Amino acid sequence: MSAKFERAEIWRNRFLILPSMLLLATFVIYPACFAVYTSLTNESLTGPAALNPRFVGLDNYTKLFTDGNFWRSLAITFWFVLFSAIIGQLVLGLASAMLLRRRFALRPLVNAVILMPNAVPEVVAAMMWASMLASGEYGTLNNIVAWFGVEPQRWLTSFPLTMIIVVNIWRGIGFAMILMTSGLSSISEELYEAARMDGANPRQVFRRITLPLLVPTLFLYLLVSTVSTIAIFGLVFALTRGGPAGATELIGIYIYNQSFNAYQLGYGSAVAVVVLTFSLFIGMLYVRALKVDV
Amino acid sequence: MKLKYGLWAGCILTAGLAAQAAMAETVRIAEHRQARIDALNAVIPGIEEATGIDIELVEYPGPDREYVSKLLTELAAGTGPDIFSLPAMSQVIDFSTAGYLVDVTDEVKNWDGYDQLYDVAKELVTSDDGSIFAMPKLLSVQQLYFRRDVLEDAGISTEQPKNWDELIQWAIDAKAKTGQYSLMLPMGITWGGGAFNEGFGHLLTGSSTPQIVMDDGKLNLTSDGVLEVFGFYEQLVKNDLLPIDPLLGPEPWVIPKYEMFPAGELLVTTCGSWCYIYDWGPNSSNPIPDVTEAVGTWAVPNREDGEHVIVSLGHPWSINAATFDVDAAKKVLMAMGSVDLMVSYAEHEGGLPARRDVLDDPEFLKLTPLVPLMDDIEKGVWLKNAPGFTAVSEGVARATEGLLLGNVDAAGAQQILVDYVTDTLGADQVQ
Repeated sequence: MSAKFERAEIWRNRFLILPSMLLLATFVIYPACFAVYTSLTNESLTGPAALNPRFVGLDNYTKLFTDGNFWRSLAITFWFVLFSAIIGQLVLGLASAMLLRRRFALRPLVNAVILMPNAVPEVVAAMMWASMLASGEYGTLNNIVAWFGVEPQRWLTSFPLTMIIVVNIWRGIGFAMILMTSGLSSISEELYEAARMDGANPRQVFRRITLPLLVPTLFLYLLVSTVSTIAIFGLVFALTRGGPAGATELIGIYIYNQSFNAYQLGYGSAVAVVVLTFSLFIGMLYVRALKVDV
Repeated sequence: MKLKYGLWAGCILTAGLAAQAAMAETVRIAEHRQARIDALNAVIPGIEEATGIDIELVEYPGPDREYVSKLLTELAAGTGPDIFSLPAMSQVIDFSTAGYLVDVTDEVKNWDGYDQLYDVAKELVTSDDGSIFAMPKLLSVQQLYFRRDVLEDAGISTEQPKNWDELIQWAIDAKAKTGQYSLMLPMGITWGGGAFNEGFGHLLTGSSTPQIVMDDGKLNLTSDGVLEVFGFYEQLVKNDLLPIDPLLGPEPWVIPKYEMFPAGELLVTTCGSWCYIYDWGPNSSNPIPDVTEAVGTWAVPNREDGEHVIVSLGHPWSINAATFDVDAAKKVLMAMGSVDLMVSYAEHEGGLPARRDVLDDPEFLKLTPLVPLMDDIEKGVWLKNAPGFTAVSEGVARATEGLLLGNVDAAGAQQILVDYVTDTLGADQVQ
């Protein structure tokens, strides 16, 4: 291959990715840079600071690190991501994928039931769950548990974080299952056959063959689900608006509340920049440290 | 060739000017919630005829909080509708200090309807420095609404309570006798501005320190009055007088106001004249038959003996500072102070018109639940506004949510309010 041809190829490839780069620059990189700039000002949506925002240096970041509500929100987000995305969706998604590899009578129905939450718009899903988890005699779940003699509960008040974790697991299993199914299908049947001929039991097959060969898929899933769960907003906002008393104020809702309820765009942007840095760090951890090809 | 280019340039210029002229003669008005949208739609032809300007009605999201957020993001970006309403005067002040609103002082004061405005409307719409950024539309007179029919059937007194202690004791006794929730004030975060405008403000104006805004414009949130109000709320929660579960839900007004009160499962709630039309009247999805007989009103008692009703401006109109044609928008704004528009809103939504001469309008006189309430307008009291008042409203919502959950006592709730407002506005704005 001549050097001239190689140069032409390089330029052609650059030209081909140009539209993507332009879109990325316009809708991702520029807003992110603008958020960094805004985070260094006292810009507000109302009042004098909206008319004449001032450069305040790192004041917003200093305030942020001493803001107990920010750290509380970050802690809530951590538990939410850990239990809903990393544990709940992953385990149940993998279990569903393994279950649906087998042939049984109701397989298409089970498949549809697991995938259905993904087809429902998140606000609709939230409204549905709000009705399900409503307190007193009005809640569907309270009516169900009443059959077993359980007193009506305030599900979204007494167990708010647990409830939004359950709702998010319900919504995310389908995606996890799809990814796990594709990972499982890439494992050769011959390996399973050989293991069975060597007398391996199902547990050994899972531990020695399935799990190790599924690691790239698992970490790809963890990368995508962790980052997208940190950024979750609509489902929880429509269900609880971050309440009661901030118990479900995930970091996305905290940013929204600071920017659009307290009208402090500068401070909200500082929180957003810190969260972006966290997400980038987590992404790099998955991609680099675990050497996963994405 | 030059002639050809010249012709093309001429055509493009003409088309551009024509488009500009067409745009200049269309004014976009934002409105939200179906009752208000219907009210405005009914009078748009009249406004177009009076001004010769086309009106485009733009429908915005329903809940006030989402409506204001959407407006703010558009206004901050230099876009948005030409004319819009704002839920409360505190927002008019916050928006005007941000430079989003056109000063209409001269237009409103020289407008031929100005003399017909109630004095309270003039006072509420005028800032401390004498400037006006909004056209009054409706006034709301708020007080306590009680189920007269249910109480009389149960043999419970419907006499006006004289002070807070008497009101609380009455509520405890009524609950013991009927088993129903007896007194509800909006509380919690999800009720948004209602926790302040439809509850906290009622009590504060009857407390030992009835104003938050000091003479120097600072906010006094550590006053005895604020603590007394949170103490009142604490008693409501401790004595289980109000339905806590629905107040913590995503749409907290739906169950207590639209289901429990009509069913007689809630005996007293704060409300405004709109409740006789929209919440439980002819425009309600769950109306109470013969509502003005079945539901009576009490003025809000003071902490010590005495009583008052709260009066406030409801959704006044303002002009976007970034509007393309300010003169056209001003012309339309003046036309929107008409009797017809106010009567249409009164009919659909239930607010009280801000003009006296509606009492000569036969269409308004047909709204029999509202007409007697017009007498209360000039007796009303109100809270003084200042920049940053929106943060107080949000702080009250957070503080009352803490009380609802039983996480804090009155002093703790006051601390939540002080901390939130100080964090949001800065220590220099808080006393």
